[in-house]
Amino acid sequence: MEENKDMTYTQAVTELEQLVQKMQDPQCSIDNLTAYTKRSKELLDICRKKLTEADEQLKQILATIQQ
Amino acid sequence: MLQPSLFSNQPQGITLSEFNTRIANVINGTPSLQNQWVIAETSDLRVVRGHCYMELVEKDARGTTVAKVSAAIWASSYPRLNEKFKAATGSDLKTGMKVLVMATATYHSQYGFKVVIYDIDPNYTIGDMERQRQEILNRLTAEGLIDMNKQLPWPVVPQRIAIVSAAGAAGYGDFMNQLSNNPYRLQFYTCLFGASMQGAQTVPTVMAALERIKQHQDLFDCVVIIRGGGATSELNSFDNYDLAAAVARYPLPVIVGIGHERDVTVLDYVAGKRVKTPTAAAEWLIQLGTNALAHLDELQNDVVAAARDTVAHAREQLGYFTSMIPASARRIIDTNRIRLDHFTTSIPVAANNLIANQHTRLQRAIERMTDAVAAAMQREQQHLQALDDKAMLLSPVNTLRRGYSLVRVGDKCVTSSDQLHPGDTVTMQFADGTADATVK
Repeated sequence: MEENKDMTYTQAVTELEQLVQKMQDPQCSIDNLTAYTKRSKELLDICRKKLTEADEQLKQILATIQQ
Repeated sequence: MLQPSLFSNQPQGITLSEFNTRIANVINGTPSLQNQWVIAETSDLRVVRGHCYMELVEKDARGTTVAKVSAAIWASSYPRLNEKFKAATGSDLKTGMKVLVMATATYHSQYGFKVVIYDIDPNYTIGDMERQRQEILNRLTAEGLIDMNKQLPWPVVPQRIAIVSAAGAAGYGDFMNQLSNNPYRLQFYTCLFGASMQGAQTVPTVMAALERIKQHQDLFDCVVIIRGGGATSELNSFDNYDLAAAVARYPLPVIVGIGHERDVTVLDYVAGKRVKTPTAAAEWLIQLGTNALAHLDELQNDVVAAARDTVAHAREQLGYFTSMIPASARRIIDTNRIRLDHFTTSIPVAANNLIANQHTRLQRAIERMTDAVAAAMQREQQHLQALDDKAMLLSPVNTLRRGYSLVRVGDKCVTSSDQLHPGDTVTMQFADGTADATVK
């Protein structure tokens, strides 16, 4: 999860799209399903968080610049 | 009135006012110098105590001034003319404009020569501004700048926004309200870089703001240049080559929302994204965010559907294999039964064939043995016959017949006279019988 912190929205959504593609492949093994689903959930959470939850640290940095 | 002269040969002079009056009479009375439409360029324009003073100039193709005259719009008509001009062109009358003015040449003996402007046709200026704008656009196109900013990739959702605007401008307020009150809880991070958005300071201050943002460009996804809110807009500042080139070459995508429905400036052409108003700029950014949220919902549905499909597929496969096992077993049994049946029928046939073969071999052997025995028997018979014949030749009977006799004492044949003693009774065997005799 540590690496997730530094992910950008674009990186997260790109990985998510690739994962969905793998899952939609008829050759997708049921053995990978749990891991794929779990990771998809993580990535969805990261993306939604990036869009709708405030990054206070960034706000502070920008406030400094604006002054 | 002629002045008295001290010297009779001295030329007779007139006063300057007299002279000026003569000039005035020529100039002020000449119809071709009155209410004449004149094409010129404004220069050194300034407004003093309500009067608008300027130089009207004409330049050749190299920019050298080839004609020049002082001109004025008196305070009695300047506000009306300027308002008319501004309404049509979007700009106050100012230095550097090509104008078509109705001019009257005047000469005042005290103040000198001046061209007084009584009317102005803004359409000529509009045409000239349009031509200038077109020249800028042509240059930007020729230099490959016109689409440069449009080619920059946009982040999926630009959330970190550097704003170039005037802090108190209505357009800035509209933009901020729209962004922060979006109903989707989308987060935007804004930072204002103040600039004058109208008047002569527009270009230098906007360019300075862009330079400041460049120093922090890693913190931003895009730049938004916004103004607006007024009923009339002074947009000509944005028809500027240097500013347009700076935006075109800018390392971040630039959204321009500086005009109104009907206004398009050069800056709009080079912008990465052009919107009509600051509110529209905010709406566009929010729209990208809502698109992203909708896309996430779709991806979530896809994940669920794909997981469900994979499980269903695996279950189906399992069912298929389950149903396949009895059928496979039956097929294996059937196959083996057929093989068994085949052996069952083929074994007796093979055995019979084997027996028949062996029988034939045996028969042949018997035949060969019989033949061999017969041949051997024949050979033996012939041999016996030969022996018999020989025996016959050697038989004592034949010898006896030839006149010999066999002498025996008892059962023993006498083969030597030493065996005989006088008085012994001997039996003499002849071919046809025996006769006893006594030895003497």
